[in-house]
Amino acid sequence: MMAVVRAHPLALLALCLLGLGAAYLFAGLGPNAGFILPLRATRLGGMLVVGASIAVATVLFQTVAQNRILTPSIMGFDALYVLMQTALVAVIGAVGFTSLPKALKFGLEVGVMITAAVLLFGTLLGRGPRDVARMILTGVILGVLFRSLSGFVARVMDPNAYSVVQSVTFASFTRIDATLLLIGGSAALAAIALAFALSRRLDVMALGRPVAVSLGLGYERLMLLVLALVALLVSVSTALVGPVAFFGLIVVGLAHALVGADRHARLLPAAALIAGIVLVGGQLIFERLIGQQSTLSVVVECVGGLVFLWLLLKGRVR
Amino acid sequence: MRLAALLTLALIPLSALSLMLGAASVDVAAIGHDPQAALIFWVSRLPRTLAVLLTGAALAVAGVILQQIVRNRFVEPGTTGTGEGAALGLLAITLLAPGAPIIVKMLVASAAALATTFLFLRLIRRLPPREVLLVPLVGLILAGVLQAAVTFIGWQTDLLQYIGTWLMSGEFSGVIAGRYELLWIAGAAAALAYVYADRFVLLGLGRDAATNLGLDTERVLHLGLAVVSIVTALVVVTVGMIPFVGLVVPNLVSRLMGDNLRQSLPVVAAGGAALVLACDILGRAVRYPYEVPVGTVLGVLGSALFLWLLYRQPAR
Amino acid sequence: MLRLARLAAVASAIAFAVPAVAAAVEIETAKGPVTLAGTPEKVAVFDIAAIDTLLALGIVPAGVPDKLYVPYLGEDAAKAPKVGTLFEPNLEAVAGLAPDLIVIGGRSSTQGDALAPIAPVIDMTIGSDVVAEAKARLTAYGKAFGREARAAELTAALDAELTAVARAAEGQGTALVLLTNGTKLSAYGAGSRFGWIHSALGLPQAREGLKTDTHGDAISFEFIAETNPDWIFVIDRGAAIGEAGSAAATLDNPLVKGTRAAKAEQIVYLSPAPIYIAGGGYTSLMGTLAELKAALAK
Repeated sequence: MMAVVRAHPLALLALCLLGLGAAYLFAGLGPNAGFILPLRATRLGGMLVVGASIAVATVLFQTVAQNRILTPSIMGFDALYVLMQTALVAVIGAVGFTSLPKALKFGLEVGVMITAAVLLFGTLLGRGPRDVARMILTGVILGVLFRSLSGFVARVMDPNAYSVVQSVTFASFTRIDATLLLIGGSAALAAIALAFALSRRLDVMALGRPVAVSLGLGYERLMLLVLALVALLVSVSTALVGPVAFFGLIVVGLAHALVGADRHARLLPAAALIAGIVLVGGQLIFERLIGQQSTLSVVVECVGGLVFLWLLLKGRVR
Repeated sequence: MRLAALLTLALIPLSALSLMLGAASVDVAAIGHDPQAALIFWVSRLPRTLAVLLTGAALAVAGVILQQIVRNRFVEPGTTGTGEGAALGLLAITLLAPGAPIIVKMLVASAAALATTFLFLRLIRRLPPREVLLVPLVGLILAGVLQAAVTFIGWQTDLLQYIGTWLMSGEFSGVIAGRYELLWIAGAAAALAYVYADRFVLLGLGRDAATNLGLDTERVLHLGLAVVSIVTALVVVTVGMIPFVGLVVPNLVSRLMGDNLRQSLPVVAAGGAALVLACDILGRAVRYPYEVPVGTVLGVLGSALFLWLLYRQPAR
Repeated sequence: MLRLARLAAVASAIAFAVPAVAAAVEIETAKGPVTLAGTPEKVAVFDIAAIDTLLALGIVPAGVPDKLYVPYLGEDAAKAPKVGTLFEPNLEAVAGLAPDLIVIGGRSSTQGDALAPIAPVIDMTIGSDVVAEAKARLTAYGKAFGREARAAELTAALDAELTAVARAAEGQGTALVLLTNGTKLSAYGAGSRFGWIHSALGLPQAREGLKTDTHGDAISFEFIAETNPDWIFVIDRGAAIGEAGSAAATLDNPLVKGTRAAKAEQIVYLSPAPIYIAGGGYTSLMGTLAELKAALAK
């Protein structure tokens, strides 16, 4: 069995995801199939796109940062998203907040996050290779700043307004809206496709800057392109489902354990497929068996974090 | 040494200002003959000033020790899962015994925070050797796992805002006599660190080097983490999470004086105390008579300071 | 995908509309006026304040969240089919229930778009002007479900209670509304969500300046000593559902004890769940008013 897995991991993952997807779509279809099937299809599509976005963004980020244990979410994007939601509710009130046209709100969120990412990644322009660590640290620090600001607003907010903030700052994979999925999802898919097309160059990049440059790789330009893709993927996935901290770290950790890390042509699809399997499988269990659809993100963080700790302690992730 | 003297000098006017500034309009000079002034002074002003000084000093010292232990300038005590552990403990006691006295809740939260640190220790002992950089990451992941549990329970029971305000919003507005005394223990733990200062420096050279120099690295490591965790736990349950102090002050001091802890620890402690006190005074004054949490003030000032530090020197 | 959902909605709307030639009614919601095609028979509700008011009107929801958090909502609501949680409706269960109206509000108000394809959705969030909005919702429900007479009765009862409490509050001095979070405090002024304690009852604020803010302010115990109110109304944010919290322990200190409110034993601990879980629901509002009246008439 293990030998088969080792030989064709991607095919197996794809099969597994197909089975889960089919089960998610068709299991327990009641009399309301006309309404439920499109609903499930939207959710399934959303989970696949968001899962793949987070997985690919994490792989790209780790390749640029030359570090297998980092995730773009530590760069303060989540904190920025939460701050935006909190500030909006505080300024225009709960009713005003829920009256905002969703496409406008989505565009605003993605716009602000991408602008922030461009400013942050812009600090790398024309600088030395060691500055990636500094940029990451800058992101972490800004994250703390955003968190302390939203913490203050939440502290003096009345409990009812706070409950509205709470409902949107808590990641939920079932909240995906069909219209937004069409807009955001197509952008994300384009970015994912571009990442796949860059696989070869990413392999060279992973060898480290000096080697990559001596092999004739346009390192600077590739790095900025990759970071731009990360920015787009993280912004879109956060605006679609809310902040998810360790999900990317976990699926990429599992992908490393399964297919190794030397070839992006295998690593990227493996990570994207594992992300889909975890989300669809988890949602299947929670939605159908336990009836607690909104708690998947918490459980993914909890269990995923534990799995990752275990991998760390076994020395499987370096 | 001149630096230490300067900082101590700065602490005197800051403390005086802190004793004079508060929402109550009383003349502190009149504590001899005005009972209301005396009450305000002894119950509110003095405890608050002491709490700020203890917190600032202890957090800065804990920051230095943690950075020596993990040999990374960019970790701070808040990144070991301690705060999230405290939150889990507080949630548990609030749900099981909602009417428990405040001090009991604080003690339960502290115990949970210490248990979390113990778990953290057990985890990092099992890490492959030479993987020092994984230490802060393990802390982050542990914090994330606990945070997820806290969020889930707090969400179901509608206690998230309560937990967030009590533990995550660092502020001294709730400090009065009888509600801050746990901080003396944190101060004592930080003072204990001074006794062992030289050994932490050796530890900062790396485990192998330290062992070759005859240091019992395991014991020093545990002692250091015990200090860090006690300080963090007690500060979190008494006043809440306060960011940046354990990060900014040690980095600034080490730029000015190098890493001789025997000499620099007192300066770090005084610097931490001065920074937090200045921020707390600012937090009291900005929206007088209302408060801005010191954590928010530090979030803004600390991040500005830190980024300035980061972009002035080449990244290490 | 969307088109499919819309088609299904249109089809079901047609199916419902054929027998029900009931007159359309226009009701006021948090998001402006909404026209309902007829009298709803089956209503799914995702807001505790709404369930509270509907039950007071004698309307039992056909679908409710799994946990109701407040004990006084009674058996009928607890027995209704569960169609999700307070935070997230289970869309498939809602669709299976096939309601002809869905009510959202407060923390579920972000779910309107997701629920819209199933049935008409009305957002009945109660904002910071609690008393006025609670009455508006009551009237709207009465109109929507053809229970205008009952709604008018309840409104009259609420007005009478408000008048009685306001009379009890006359000449009783100033008040301060506090929210306690463990060891930390926030004060809420007349413009805030708890401001109706000042505006509806005519109890002046112990300190001017709180009133323009819709949100609260972080305060210290010194602030309480300085404002020295005649009355302190306390809402405990840390109270577990249905349990007395430890707000009394938080306020048990010399600075609070020195205030006029403490000396006259006029620190009132309001039951928190009706205020911020079912805030603005009819029964919860009456309950809070009864607590206030008992304290003020002491």
